[in-house]
Amino acid sequence: MSLIDDTRIELPRRVFLKQAATVASGLAIALYLPGGIAATDPKAMAPANEFEPNAWVRIFPDGTVKLVVHKHDSGTGTQTALAACVAEELDVNPMTVQVITPEDPFFETYIHPVWKVFSTGGSTSVSLEYDRLRMAGATARALLISAAAKQWKVSPDSCTTEEGRVVHTSSKRSLGYGELVGVAANLPAPAHVTLKDPAQFKYIGKLRHKRDAAAKVCGRFKYSIDVQLPDMLVAVIQRAPVVGTKVVSVDSAAALQVPGVRKVLAIPGRPDVLGGNLEGVAVLADTFWAAQQGRKVLEIKWSDSALAGFDSEQLFSAQAKAIGDPQAQTVKAMTQGDVAGQWAGAAKLIEADYTMPYKVQNPLEPICITAQVKDKAITYWGGVQVPSSALEAAQTVCGIDKANVTIHELVSGGSFGAREAKYWLFEVAYLAQKTGVPVKLLNSREDEMHALFNHPATLHRVKGALDAQGKLSALQLHAVSPASPEQWEPGYFERPDKMDYSTTEAITAWDFAYRPPHLELNWVKHESDVPSGWYRSVSFIPNVFAVESFMDELAHAAGADPLAFRLANMQERPRHVAVLKQAAERAGWGQPLPRGTALGIATNQGYTSFIAVVARVATVDGKPKVEKLTCVVDCGLAVSPGGVEEQIYGGLMWGFGHALFDRLDIKQGRVVQSNFHDYRVTRMSDMPATDILVLDGEPSKPGGVGELGSPSVVPAIANALFALTGVRQRSTPLSLG
Amino acid sequence: MIAFTVNGERRELDEASSSMPLLWVLRDQLKLTGTKFGCGMGLCGACTVHLDGVAVRSCQLPAAAVAGHSITTIEGLSPTENHPLQLAWVAEDVPQCGYCQSGQIMSAAALLNTGAAVTDDSIRNAMSGNICRCGTYGRISKAIKRAANAPKEA
Repeated sequence: MSLIDDTRIELPRRVFLKQAATVASGLAIALYLPGGIAATDPKAMAPANEFEPNAWVRIFPDGTVKLVVHKHDSGTGTQTALAACVAEELDVNPMTVQVITPEDPFFETYIHPVWKVFSTGGSTSVSLEYDRLRMAGATARALLISAAAKQWKVSPDSCTTEEGRVVHTSSKRSLGYGELVGVAANLPAPAHVTLKDPAQFKYIGKLRHKRDAAAKVCGRFKYSIDVQLPDMLVAVIQRAPVVGTKVVSVDSAAALQVPGVRKVLAIPGRPDVLGGNLEGVAVLADTFWAAQQGRKVLEIKWSDSALAGFDSEQLFSAQAKAIGDPQAQTVKAMTQGDVAGQWAGAAKLIEADYTMPYKVQNPLEPICITAQVKDKAITYWGGVQVPSSALEAAQTVCGIDKANVTIHELVSGGSFGAREAKYWLFEVAYLAQKTGVPVKLLNSREDEMHALFNHPATLHRVKGALDAQGKLSALQLHAVSPASPEQWEPGYFERPDKMDYSTTEAITAWDFAYRPPHLELNWVKHESDVPSGWYRSVSFIPNVFAVESFMDELAHAAGADPLAFRLANMQERPRHVAVLKQAAERAGWGQPLPRGTALGIATNQGYTSFIAVVARVATVDGKPKVEKLTCVVDCGLAVSPGGVEEQIYGGLMWGFGHALFDRLDIKQGRVVQSNFHDYRVTRMSDMPATDILVLDGEPSKPGGVGELGSPSVVPAIANALFALTGVRQRSTPLSLG
Repeated sequence: MIAFTVNGERRELDEASSSMPLLWVLRDQLKLTGTKFGCGMGLCGACTVHLDGVAVRSCQLPAAAVAGHSITTIEGLSPTENHPLQLAWVAEDVPQCGYCQSGQIMSAAALLNTGAAVTDDSIRNAMSGNICRCGTYGRISKAIKRAANAPKEA
């Protein structure tokens, strides 16, 4: 029995989209017509029983409304928030209408407007889709109003809508949206539409719940791991334990004796593809349990690898050597004045190195994807965060073209960057191609830990000069880190400035808050040959740790209050100043504290949102303990305030984990940790009290929040620990004595 | 043959399955997929079910060990899906990705089953074997208190 609704395959479909050319509010929004096809002949193209005015709205004669959400939801609430943007303007209830994922995920309209790939990430889904999703809803509503007005022979201006109905107030007539499908479908695109005044919003800015909670508390909600198809085999893969190692021989005799095991297949590595999979040996069986039993008795001989001597403990000294090395690629992320000229005359010079280890995402649902190759077409079932990678796997591994790739998209059990990796899509495409049956690839927890799609280990060297009055005159930073997987994007290597925006987060002109007279922020590219991956909050984590710890060190050296010192170095940063001041006030900054208690503060900006975090630490039973995290957030408009709050809570929890737990070691080229017993993550008993305030920000624009919460937590805790103990910690995980 | 009860129904397995963890019996043989796989070592709690009313990690429990016992999974927690915890979980909008929540709710239900006072400490003790990576601990705690204070079902 198939758990997945297979009735949706009706490709190709979207050929008759219309969208208003302008919005009355004056927002400049591009047309979303597919290339070369204008909405000139709607009659010829529209299906008889459906009103589909654009890529996000479908209305059926029985009144069913389906909203398309073209972004992956890994638990971040994007389905609710994005549906609400359309629903608000269409005037339907986003909690009760149907929400579907696109049948044609490669429809041009769905491409990420910045990255030019089909993808979800970077905390951009709400902030970048907000305007056009509202416009999609407003366009559909305008057409429905026109259809009703035409039928009633009244002016559209005399009509309004009330949750799924067009209403002619003066004559008290009304028609449900479903009754208007036939007429509306044959109307031309409106010349312009009016977006709602935000003061009239019923859902945006008010949502406290997400759509799918009820199904998720009863065990009914289907994840990738729950996909079940006829003749399906479950695959587990023993991957190369060291980068670059190859399979010399496989003895699969014992594995094939395990009941339920059907096949053992070697999977070639794809070092030719950025982010491609390592070599591996797959065991395919009737069930995951059987496959795992088979895997245990596989005998694989691996070749030597040049990376067999790699040790993550020695990485930091290699990274330090890259600073100032003319051979290393050093990219100036921001410069102002002449830093080098300030060192000689400084009253005080301070220099510090900060390091962070490799970290691994560990979504609780391990990577899982099902694929089948049949009749020169591939179908995927599961949480596919980056459809472009599924397409690349189909093209590269199977030679299947875009028109023959189908994705049955599911919500995934967390991603945090893990589901932006490509390796598993390449592997499943290979196995599906080889076997012809549906193959469900499922990682074990150990596989997640060993996936080598880590948050990279980094070293930051910061140098600062204070003048005789204790003012910061110069600041220099070298952030040593490998390039991010942004290099997978088209055109990356041709960029004249060599910038990697995902590695220089928080240290560029737009999101670095401080403006001393002389400033130089550098990214030093240092590749270790151990691949690195996407990870929630990406380079904000180490960059904010270094900058915000160092600002604290400077403040103490200057004899200044760390909050006042920060504020004194900010210019024209009203939102930054506001969150800092409010967080400080809420946490009791500057007020007398109980004996053995201390506060630390830090701030960051990103995704056009702002946050300040105050950590309170106290000595409990002779040891420091993190008691509370207070934070104030300005994300502009919070489309789903309940969702924003939980994203921030999650971010605080991640930051707390980075501060105290996250650490993945690689010795002799092999990952040391294997499961939650030796890779610790934050549990309920660890979690300090939290106080989260989301400000009513600028109402015209939502900022991103998914990755906003964590970066400031680490320096806030480190700064608080310094205030408590007098010991400055510059490497994570921090020690609590 | 291994006989046991799952959600009130008698189930029988052949001896060949005796070493298979209950988690995979539930998921792959009985098609009860609400119970989730997270770590396979009893460390994350995603696979939590009740064995005679007590929370256990089904990934660590061989099928043979449940012979003669009564198992409750998330699907059997309430025939109407209206267990006070489920209602509280929705009211507090606890789930983010939701993957850990079956296990979280089963651990919370076992805590309520003990009849012990529901306090911050007892919640932390009962729930710290369940990992959530999204960050729902704060709302879980609120939801358990809400459920504990909810009027009892008639």
